[in-house]
Amino acid sequence: MLTIKNLSAGYGGVDVIHNISMQIDGNLSIVGPNGCGKTTLLKAIANILPFKGSILVEGMHYTSMKRRDISMKIAMLSQMVGIYFTYSVFDTVMMGRYLHIKNRILSTPTSEDKTAVLQALKAVDLLDEKDKEITKLSGGQLQRVFLARTLVQEPRIILLDEPTNHLDLKCQIEIIEYLKKWAEEGNRAIVGVLHDINLALSLSDHLVVMNKGEIAVDGNADKIVKSGMLNQVYEMDVAQHMRESFERWS
Amino acid sequence: MKTAIVKTSRQSTAPGYWGGKFVLMIGISIAAILLGIGIGSVNIPPLDILRSIGHNMFNINLPEHITENRAAIVWNVRLPRVLLAFFAGAALSVSGAVMQSVLRNPLASSYTLGVSSGASLGASFVIFLGVSLPFLPMMTLPILGFSFGLGTIFIVMGIASRLDGQMENQTIILTGIVFSLFINAITSLLFAMFREGTQRMVLWQMGSFSMRGGWNTLYILVPVVVIGIIFISRYKWELDIMTFGEDQARTIGVNSTRVKWILLIGTAVLTGSTIAFVGVIGFVDLVSPHVVRKIFGSAHKVVIPMSALFGGTFMVLSDIVARTVAAPIELPVGVVTALIGAPFFAYVYFSRRK
Repeated sequence: MLTIKNLSAGYGGVDVIHNISMQIDGNLSIVGPNGCGKTTLLKAIANILPFKGSILVEGMHYTSMKRRDISMKIAMLSQMVGIYFTYSVFDTVMMGRYLHIKNRILSTPTSEDKTAVLQALKAVDLLDEKDKEITKLSGGQLQRVFLARTLVQEPRIILLDEPTNHLDLKCQIEIIEYLKKWAEEGNRAIVGVLHDINLALSLSDHLVVMNKGEIAVDGNADKIVKSGMLNQVYEMDVAQHMRESFERWS
Repeated sequence: MKTAIVKTSRQSTAPGYWGGKFVLMIGISIAAILLGIGIGSVNIPPLDILRSIGHNMFNINLPEHITENRAAIVWNVRLPRVLLAFFAGAALSVSGAVMQSVLRNPLASSYTLGVSSGASLGASFVIFLGVSLPFLPMMTLPILGFSFGLGTIFIVMGIASRLDGQMENQTIILTGIVFSLFINAITSLLFAMFREGTQRMVLWQMGSFSMRGGWNTLYILVPVVVIGIIFISRYKWELDIMTFGEDQARTIGVNSTRVKWILLIGTAVLTGSTIAFVGVIGFVDLVSPHVVRKIFGSAHKVVIPMSALFGGTFMVLSDIVARTVAAPIELPVGVVTALIGAPFFAYVYFSRRK
């Protein structure tokens, strides 16, 4: 579904990630300590950061595709952004239909777009709030609005850049569980950068551990946790910490 | 799930709802225009204004109590002045709305990027140095004002794109502010070196609609403003999306760098052409979009037309105050917009935050 070869990217001419290569055919969790380049990698995949190397989505090179073609296949759900001007929930989600609307001669939403928005709002349990201003929503509700906006893009792959930060546990699990179902039903994929190891492991069996701008290990999540590779990267006994947490609360 | 608390003023998804307000706003704008034409050294009732316009446009006979002279005052003096104020206000207000959204900064305007500084420098070349175009001496000031204003934006955007290929907002704003200060310094230098013409320059910088060329100015300005606003309206979707930030816009599929170039130059054309004719008039571009967003919501399909109507109306009313409050002395309209606009803006902005 997504092939990455020798990818390097960074900011102001300084590479943050170096020579990353990986094959993504289903859900994937990316973990690693702060500053290891997880978000930079996602931004390069989302085509919002210039990169060296090559990325292919469903066999097509990014270089041969326009931004709109890539955005039809790949969407991104990020950490919460500052809101300068307020919109209704419905209008905000409708923005995700931008490329579908712009592909039409009149560039106006049709009943198909409205249905897609209402279905997405129903899926994230916000249908009753559709006319509410987004500035009046809680953090969890707002992130679900952005999730709905991502869904109505109808992408093949959704990139998650720590979208559940600042959300309560129930919200975090609901969003991840919903996305897993969405990916499974449509033969789609989720590529998630998540700080919470438990959440990352619940998203996918495929785990990539990054460290200092490179892939430290790429493989089966269970094997990686048992191998102790996470301990090296995080410089602590991750499995022991998780066991202790589990025992304390069970 | 609890029942939604809906604040209807934000329901931009319901065209019928804001459609009614749109018609109401058009009515208010027409009323302000009639008021602007009617108030003066001789007050003229609205019906007489309409009869005078009908007489000049369609050769309809005037009733006995309206003299040819009075109809001529309406047609040749007051109507062009009020329409000039309306279209100038509309252009500045739409420019402000677009700049605030594109740069995600509630204090942004075309002036932030140096349009007014550039136009002032162009005007100072004409006023202080006596620069005159060979075939169009009367149009030298507007042409140079417009060219320098637009040129400044191109330079600012050029420098910003060299500094930052992604054209991030803070790069554009900082480049604009620094370059504006540089241009202002040159204008100040000309002020210091050439005392003659200082008063004319100061008055130009404060803006006015008196003696600005009548219908001839409107023949140039109105098409630019109308086409410019229609052109900008085509980007209503992109403007909505870009208020959430460039990364979000790009992942949704908006080519934000290209759109930013187009819209910033579009607004520079609107602002530059306006201040080239009427001088630098502040606050309309800052205040109007905020008031419009507060009343009608933030969706640009509503914000752009409403900003045009509100900005035009606000400018017409400011012009009425400028020429009546200290009559027979006429105040610079820029002073009036600032005096009304500053406290009004503070009220609107801070009451919204509350």
